[in-house]
Amino acid sequence: MKDETLLPLTLHAPQDIVAWHQGQPIRCVEFLAQAAALAATLPAARHAVNLCEDRYLFMLAFAALLLRGQVNLLPPNRASHVVEEVAAAFPDSYCLVERPQADLAVAQHAVNLALPSLAVVAPALIPAAQLAAIIFTSGSTGTPRPHCKYWGDLVRGAARARERFVLEHYVGGTIVATVPPQHMYGLESTILYPLLSGLAVHGGRPFFPEDLRQALNEVAVPRVLVTTPVHLRACVAAGLSWPDVSLIISATAPLSAELAAAAEQAFSCEVREVYGCTETGAIASRRTLDGPRWYPYTGVQLHCSEGRCKAVADFLHEPTPLNDVIEQHADGFILLGRDSDMVNIGGKRASLGDLNQRLLSIPGVQDAALLLLDADSERGGRLCALVVAPQLTEQTILDALRLRMDEVFLPRPLYRVARLPRNDTGKLPRGELLALLERLRTGDGLQ
Amino acid sequence: MSELTPVELEVGQLIIDTLNLEDIAAADIEAEAPLFREGLGLDSIDALELALAISRQYGFQLRSDDENNARIFSSLRALAAHIAAHHVK
Repeated sequence: MKDETLLPLTLHAPQDIVAWHQGQPIRCVEFLAQAAALAATLPAARHAVNLCEDRYLFMLAFAALLLRGQVNLLPPNRASHVVEEVAAAFPDSYCLVERPQADLAVAQHAVNLALPSLAVVAPALIPAAQLAAIIFTSGSTGTPRPHCKYWGDLVRGAARARERFVLEHYVGGTIVATVPPQHMYGLESTILYPLLSGLAVHGGRPFFPEDLRQALNEVAVPRVLVTTPVHLRACVAAGLSWPDVSLIISATAPLSAELAAAAEQAFSCEVREVYGCTETGAIASRRTLDGPRWYPYTGVQLHCSEGRCKAVADFLHEPTPLNDVIEQHADGFILLGRDSDMVNIGGKRASLGDLNQRLLSIPGVQDAALLLLDADSERGGRLCALVVAPQLTEQTILDALRLRMDEVFLPRPLYRVARLPRNDTGKLPRGELLALLERLRTGDGLQ
Repeated sequence: MSELTPVELEVGQLIIDTLNLEDIAAADIEAEAPLFREGLGLDSIDALELALAISRQYGFQLRSDDENNARIFSSLRALAAHIAAHHVK
């Protein structure tokens, strides 16, 4: 039976501030009028790639597409060939941009912010069953993989987060974020939380610590900062005097207790992490300093068998497999490593994440990545390592590693490198690591 | 064959030291070549680290929300000029 429910686009009252755009507050009535005006001018199509970088324009484009019944396509990155690949998969689609991009061989529509009349706009209701967005992940095969997000699921997921973080404490305040809105974490925490709670959102994307400090100073309190470990580290190290922040939310990579403690001190508030993936959205959280245990959102259940888990919740269309190995406890769970990280070499099993932690625990090792090559061979493959350790020699590192892991896991070759090819969110795409490895192998034999 | 000014050499050395670029000397950096992607191939996380090193050495914070940002990071020459104009130590 088709779900005929209609759910509001936003829970804000007409005069509430929903966003700060270029330093100016935008009231809900203005936002809805602008969204309706934009929706009326959109080309006839079923899908559009929402490429807006300015967070307020993204939110406006997102809302206009919902109002027109068109689907937001959110590519894994902005590289033109990736955007073209995503657009090509939906023959009638076009790109919504802030200004036309010459290097993009796709039909484009620029978001026009001409102020419409503030005639009374009917409350915007969106069918729960409407496909709101398709988010793409890089995928292990190199082709972007689509993940469908329905409006009803997004609304229910946001409600779970609103309960968990008690967002009503921050009504009238503002979310300021360093993450883009085009991935699931950014979409949920910087577009959906503001639309579906009493918070507004800062319309920009501050990058440097000083940008962030100024953005925080521009907006109404209480302030909620949505960020990543990479940005938190930069902010803590900058040694600035920060305005009051009430809550920090971090995701995309594990946050160390050390950095979480420093951030709590610098910003005088709790640092909390969310756990989830593109497939599920956020499903659990923890305060980093309280320990490694994650607490699932209300109504989220994990069904685990032999270490493999599926998440079940009222905001998920079906039981959704998780990529992590999870140890369940009565009141939460602990992450043991990513499923795809399990290696079996010479009959010995280990988590790549765990081995990598051992490598990182060597004094002088600043960053490191392990790659499994030739996994289909009889021995189950061989690890190679890329290590950032300016003060150590390869031999010293290997000698130290030998003390920390079974010798079948000792990497060969082990290259020392200046830095690892981490992407904007701090992750290490396997393709990038393989390319770096290839350059080192064909290079000057630095071994 | 260095065409770099003393300030450019100093900033180039700061970049090399901050980002552990082992295979290059400051004098080898092309003054007008892009620092990011092509050229030295730096990425956004490098930019955060560089901003921190610049604030420590020159006493001012980099910002990205003014119109000049793309220009400031377009090359070593542009970055050195920006530092020369804004440093407070």
